[in-house]
Amino acid sequence: MNYIWSVIFLAAFLCACCTGQLQAFGTALTDSSSEAVTFLIGLAGIMAMWSGLMEIAERTGLITKLSRLLIPLTSFLFPHVKNPQTISSIVLSFMANIFGAGNSSTVFALRTMEKLDEENRYRSEASNDMCTFAVVNMAFAPLLPVVMLQIRTDAGAEDPYSVVLPSILTAACTVTVSILACKILERRH
Amino acid sequence: MTYLFSVITAAFIPAMAAVIIAYGLSQKAPVYDYFIEGARKGLETALDILPFLIGIFLAINCLSASGLLNLVNRVLQPFFRLFGVPPELLPLICLRAISGSGSLIIVKDILEVTGPDSYAGRAACVMAGGCETVIYVLALYFGVTGVKKTRHALAGGLIGYFTGVIVSLVICKFL
Repeated sequence: MNYIWSVIFLAAFLCACCTGQLQAFGTALTDSSSEAVTFLIGLAGIMAMWSGLMEIAERTGLITKLSRLLIPLTSFLFPHVKNPQTISSIVLSFMANIFGAGNSSTVFALRTMEKLDEENRYRSEASNDMCTFAVVNMAFAPLLPVVMLQIRTDAGAEDPYSVVLPSILTAACTVTVSILACKILERRH
Repeated sequence: MTYLFSVITAAFIPAMAAVIIAYGLSQKAPVYDYFIEGARKGLETALDILPFLIGIFLAINCLSASGLLNLVNRVLQPFFRLFGVPPELLPLICLRAISGSGSLIIVKDILEVTGPDSYAGRAACVMAGGCETVIYVLALYFGVTGVKKTRHALAGGLIGYFTGVIVSLVICKFL
């Protein structure tokens, strides 16, 4: 991440110098920091709500019950994950993604990453499970891309829904390829 | 079919909240107390990820302000034309892996220029319809954990991303 971040930043800086966009670059620098804080305030509320609800689900044992049903589903993707809370967390964040829960799905994903990190015993290197989970999450698409449908309707589309099936098919291909890529890449280690 | 999807999509979150609370009550648990405790933990997590969020917003906004992506577009244009990819889609292909909100603006532009029912318009919607962006996921997901080395997460994510781009171009051609 250190390299990715510095490369993006320095490449942008050099390019801004060449194209004479330094003014815009400076504005972006200051604006983005406060933008991040504004964005987080919105996210923090949703985060607090879901952690509250999940706390109930965890302490009343609902999560443990749910995970017993779900183990068969996750054992292929995450063979080493046995902790019931982690399993439910994985499945819930996948479901939140598929049902297009937006920021809520980000919250679930972050919880899952924390749980996977616990199983990784807080090592400085990401575990295979963490990589697989992140990559699969990048590939997911919602069953109904609500935002896209809205944009299409606003643009006066004759058939706004014509992208639903292609979206689902594309996501299915992408998820499959991503899983394969992860399983192959993790062997090099 | 799409009606069913929209019902499920709308009902998923509220139903989940209701089930959790109802189950808690049936177990005679102090649900409200648990909720407050969990909410506090959630706010702590939110504060934990803020530095990472600032870092990633910084990199992304600087990148889009610098005009580097325009340069990349220009270089790649002839290459993409070779494969019959509509040139309007190029900025989206470059930006989608980096910024979700930025790519929404580009999608709107594309729909305005080419029309929402055109090949380019539909392909743009399919491409941008995914949930998360590669860089954002990488920064945030691994930021919240203490992981320093993300190993094959970036490579895997990019492979998935380009698969998505190619598949959406092909599928929209036929469907």
